[in-house]
Amino acid sequence: MGGCVPAMVEELTAKKEREYRLIDRVLSGHHEDFHELIAAYRRGVYLAAYDILQIAADAEEVAQEAFLKAFRGLRGFRRESQFATWLFRIAVNEARMKLRRRREVPLESVFPDDEEGDYTPTMLADWREIPSDALLREETRRFVREAIAALPERYREIITLRDVNGLNIAETAEILGISTGNTKVRLLRARLLLRDLFVERTNRKGKAQSQRGATP
Amino acid sequence: MKLDCKHIWRELSNYLDGEIAEEVRREVEAHVAQCKHCAALLDSTHNVLVLVADERRMELPPGFNARLRERLERELATSQPD
Repeated sequence: MGGCVPAMVEELTAKKEREYRLIDRVLSGHHEDFHELIAAYRRGVYLAAYDILQIAADAEEVAQEAFLKAFRGLRGFRRESQFATWLFRIAVNEARMKLRRRREVPLESVFPDDEEGDYTPTMLADWREIPSDALLREETRRFVREAIAALPERYREIITLRDVNGLNIAETAEILGISTGNTKVRLLRARLLLRDLFVERTNRKGKAQSQRGATP
Repeated sequence: MKLDCKHIWRELSNYLDGEIAEEVRREVEAHVAQCKHCAALLDSTHNVLVLVADERRMELPPGFNARLRERLERELATSQPD
């Protein structure tokens, strides 16, 4: 894996340069290049909004708003951070504002906000690994979707930024407006809880099957 | 220093990200080599994250890109970036 790092850095630099070229073009009047600039982020921005809002139509509206805002505010992008970081911050802020307007009780208030607390993974009796050959089954994918949906908002949000969109810790921290230390702690909890939720679902299924097998 | 299971859980996320000191990484690997619970926890967490990234890559409402493009085109034709 170590050998890939220079290639990855090169690729990232090339991506950044390409984005900066596109931004320059948009700012000099080639507005149509904005489509290309954002093409790689359409899904990610939608998912980030969806994680916060949990309603597809609202997430789509917020994603559209975020892209419009990014276009209008493009001159304000100072190139100190990645374009993706700047764009996701706009999207997350838009989604949070919409959520506030909805005046809903945020999901996270139901869960204790103890980032410093201790964690114990669900130690199930039939502890097992998730075998790689199970990864492609339709049912497994359903369990994944259920496990994601069952996560508290703040955890879903961080998983989407870091593990789905591949933003690094510093970028994720910047978007969420928390320290890198807190980002790491929240990410750890999010990942472990997601795994617990997934394992619970696969084990539940395993149990149901063995019970069915026992009845004549 | 030998790490116990709780330490491993705390380092799991940093380990998966490669954001971990070399010495701690070696400790984690030594522990995981002889503790099947921690090995399963590490593997399954990694597998779930791979699945999640994969699953969510497919998740866009039908027509999303076309609607976005249409809305953007209206905006791009009529306004200027500030």
